[in-house]
Amino acid sequence: MIEVKNLAKAYNGTIVLNIPELKIEKGESFGLVGNNGAGKTTFFRLILDLIKANKGEIYSQGIDVKKTTDWKSYTGSYIDEGFLIDFLTPEEYFDFIASVNNLSKGDVKKFLDQFGDFFNGEILGKKKYIRELSRGNKQKVGIAASLITDPEILVLDEPFASLDPSTQIRLKNLLKQLQQEKNVTMLISSHDLNHVTEVCERIVVLDKGNMIHDIKTSSDTLQELESYFAV
Amino acid sequence: MFKWLLSHQWKEMTRSNFWQKSLVINFIIGFLLLIMFSYLVLLGLFIDEILIDIYPDGDPFIIFNSGLLYYLGIDLFVRFFLYSLPVINIESYLHLPVKKSKIINFILLKSSLNIFNVLPLLVFIPFIFKVIVVDYSGSIAFSWIIVMLILILNNSFLLHYLKRRFIDKPAIIGIFALIIVVTMVLDKFDIIALSDLSSQIFVFLSNNPFYIIIPFLILILVYGINYSYLKSRMTIEDINVKKQKKIDSLSRIKYFDSFGDLGEMILLEIKLIWRNKRSRSIINMSPLFLLYGLLFYPNEDMQGLGFLIFVGIFMTGGIMFNYGQYMLSWESNYFDGIIANNIDFQKHFRAKYIMIISTVIISYILTIPYVYFGTKVLIINTATFLFNLGFLSFLLMYFSSSSRKRMDMSKSSVFNYQGLGASNWIMILPFFLLPILIWVPFNLLGIPHWGIGAIGFIGIVSLAFHKSLMKIVVKRFEEKKHLIAEGFREL
Repeated sequence: MIEVKNLAKAYNGTIVLNIPELKIEKGESFGLVGNNGAGKTTFFRLILDLIKANKGEIYSQGIDVKKTTDWKSYTGSYIDEGFLIDFLTPEEYFDFIASVNNLSKGDVKKFLDQFGDFFNGEILGKKKYIRELSRGNKQKVGIAASLITDPEILVLDEPFASLDPSTQIRLKNLLKQLQQEKNVTMLISSHDLNHVTEVCERIVVLDKGNMIHDIKTSSDTLQELESYFAV
Repeated sequence: MFKWLLSHQWKEMTRSNFWQKSLVINFIIGFLLLIMFSYLVLLGLFIDEILIDIYPDGDPFIIFNSGLLYYLGIDLFVRFFLYSLPVINIESYLHLPVKKSKIINFILLKSSLNIFNVLPLLVFIPFIFKVIVVDYSGSIAFSWIIVMLILILNNSFLLHYLKRRFIDKPAIIGIFALIIVVTMVLDKFDIIALSDLSSQIFVFLSNNPFYIIIPFLILILVYGINYSYLKSRMTIEDINVKKQKKIDSLSRIKYFDSFGDLGEMILLEIKLIWRNKRSRSIINMSPLFLLYGLLFYPNEDMQGLGFLIFVGIFMTGGIMFNYGQYMLSWESNYFDGIIANNIDFQKHFRAKYIMIISTVIISYILTIPYVYFGTKVLIINTATFLFNLGFLSFLLMYFSSSSRKRMDMSKSSVFNYQGLGASNWIMILPFFLLPILIWVPFNLLGIPHWGIGAIGFIGIVSLAFHKSLMKIVVKRFEEKKHLIAEGFREL
């Protein structure tokens, strides 16, 4: 599904990401962990063609992501608030995203109906612009918008951060359900080792831009990761 | 604490990427300022002779004073549009043990250190030394300049208050301008005598320095009003209250639905402009562009074709320039979303193009009445209209991909009016000059009217090739999008 070859990204001569080879299979749930500055967001931005690599390619279903934009139609993503059009209401934003993906307003309604619990009554019908929402609620809007197109690949950067505990649990269930029912390929980064080991079958540890662990999740994984990150 | 505030402000200013990135523009701005300064000094040196020329049997000092009240009124009006309020992000200081009064005093102090307070002095000071000191006495000159300083500061603080208060209601300032104009007309026909009053006041104050206490008390009063207004608006709650405006009903406009996703994108542009204070200010300024012709057309000395072309470009394209040059910067808040989502850039730019041509067409229609000043005006405006519509619009979109600087549109709270100033205009000067450059060779050949035709012709030709031009625009955008996004991510 996603294949990385000889990927390297540097800022001002400092290498911030270096992945010689990586393959993510269809339906795999791929967790990315690492401390600040490890290169998680950089990697995701590269996958989404938001920044240019200095070297190497990323292939999505065999196509180089920087050559065409075809992958956008089956990829859902949310990196940060920079994705949200802040002067729209959440409803308007969902309509807009649906519209550029050629979905009807009826589709949007049907889609949003499933998100009643996840939104916990704080998003829809509030007559607020996105810029007036709290950080957690913005995050909910972004995550929901990334799912609107029923994507085959889902890229979420720190989806659990700034969510309240109930929503964190709901999100975990939602992601597991997407895996089981729709076989969605997921790329998720997190600082929270608990969440990521619970949701992801495979965990990659990044350190200063290098992949230093590539683990298949088992009952020992959490402990393994904790001992790695312990100072 | 004051020292800290000052140093933070200094750092904010010197570290803003505006300075480092565009040295050439800084240079041009500096150069233009220098020219403007020297004109003002020259005006100050020769104003007595100009006044004697107009009123041969008057005393220059008295005539000068008679215009001062009007000057103060007009100054206030001009400042309202050109002066950017000082920005200091108070949220970062409010939670610290800093006295509010310190922050407020700092903001006000900062507002008094601005160019509009210096410019009049460039005229006044030569005038003092050449006229008042010579014709009257040093002590009168001294009291006079003190009065002037107080009044300049007074205007500065008054404006600071009015601008914060009425930034969303430029109509009030329009009414104010109307009152000034009406008074001037009435004064001209000797129905009222504000100018006589003005000279009496200022001559009296210069001769009786003790009474300077009155303008001084007014100054303190205005400062106090500012102070209490700011003080009442210094809590985070107030800022938030301001933010939680009711949402508008733009979404209920069903008209755009029939255009599918293109319609949705046009609607997005409209919302972008309407819902952000920053972009909304261009709507408020639009009437000014359209009235520009009134400055030139009635004036016999400014009937040169070159002038008229400039005026035509400015009037039919003024709104377009303001929108076009920030087209992408205004999206900086969500630019990552634009490029990561499944958005067809061709359509994205077409939506922007439709916005641009709408403003150009509307501006053109509204300027048709200027035909009153002669068919020449209409013909030139038609040519420049076509040039804006077909050619400059694409040029602007092409160069919009050069934007790298983030603009925060959402910070529309009380303390943020950044970038509503005049310096942006320098950037687009070359665009205004282009049609004149096209016209000049024809003029030199003695066929200036052909030059006008050529301007319109270029417009029509590029309009015919709009599809190819659009492809060039989008291609450049796709090449530059990573760089743009990188620039926009830098806070």
